[in-house]
Amino acid sequence: MADEEDEPGFEEELDDGSGGLDAAGHGRRKRLFSKELRCMMYGFGDDQNPYTESVDILEDLVIEFITEMTHKAMSIGRQGRVQVEDIVFLIRKDPRKFARVKDLLTMNEELKRARKAFDEANYGS
Amino acid sequence: MADPARIKPEDSPEKEGFTNDEHLKTDETEHEPEPETSADGSKEPSRQDRPRDLNTEGEAAAAADDEEEGTSGQPSAKRLKLEPEKKKEKRQKVDEDEIQKMQVLVSSFSEEQLNRYEMYRRSAFPKAAIKRLIQSITGSSVSQNVVIAMSGISKVFVGEIVEEALDVCEKWGETPPLQPKHMREAVRRLKSRDQIPNSKYKNMLFH
Repeated sequence: MADEEDEPGFEEELDDGSGGLDAAGHGRRKRLFSKELRCMMYGFGDDQNPYTESVDILEDLVIEFITEMTHKAMSIGRQGRVQVEDIVFLIRKDPRKFARVKDLLTMNEELKRARKAFDEANYGS
Repeated sequence: MADPARIKPEDSPEKEGFTNDEHLKTDETEHEPEPETSADGSKEPSRQDRPRDLNTEGEAAAAADDEEEGTSGQPSAKRLKLEPEKKKEKRQKVDEDEIQKMQVLVSSFSEEQLNRYEMYRRSAFPKAAIKRLIQSITGSSVSQNVVIAMSGISKVFVGEIVEEALDVCEKWGETPPLQPKHMREAVRRLKSRDQIPNSKYKNMLFH
């Protein structure tokens, strides 16, 4: 079980002050996304009951991904802050993710507009 | 993916069903148990719900979009104005076709496929946890849009890995459920294609 990710630096990222034991490796913090990841894996084509070890690996990967993106976003644009434009910039080369982010943000804007119009209609009448 | 936002609107009452938009994933994880039980009961009403769900989503979004179009598209029919409008109409038509095709497809799903499709659409990362994670890294607060974008990208990321792992699994002549060795091989492949960000080792001169 030792070399799941083959990245010796990885364990440092999980250090949340809960003890100095590095031998345990990944998963020292509580599992954040177990339930949601299971549903996601089923949706993407895996079995209805995926293996717990696979879910754990995926969770570690996702947390690492988010961490990397956050660090990169902090280093570009406005330093020390994470803004949407930075994320969009970082993702520009990956067509799938780029399209998805654009869709999500557009939808969010339209929803906000629709809700606002609905609320105003209610307020008027 | 088709942008359901570019369809002609129908009625404004449709808008109200829109507040539970799946894309924003507001209370989705809580909604999961409900559709499951209804799916076990009678299939007909829930099956009709799904294509209709996609429809209301698209129409309501288009209603908002159309208002915008109306105000800007009114003035004189200059040649320059016609071009982007033509493109927009073409895009609307293409999206309409795609939406209809999706509806036909979804209406012909078996029960297992419907379950899987429902999981695919509805599963999402909890916004609170993602926000907490990002804030613990930055040390400062982040806006809601950042959380939305990050959860969306993460879901696509999970999808890429799972699909690659399924390819690996099939190639090795094995069956799902996916095992850690498939996941690891999938990660290795994606890394070689630079689809997994890694900023730890940068010296790549003449690699």
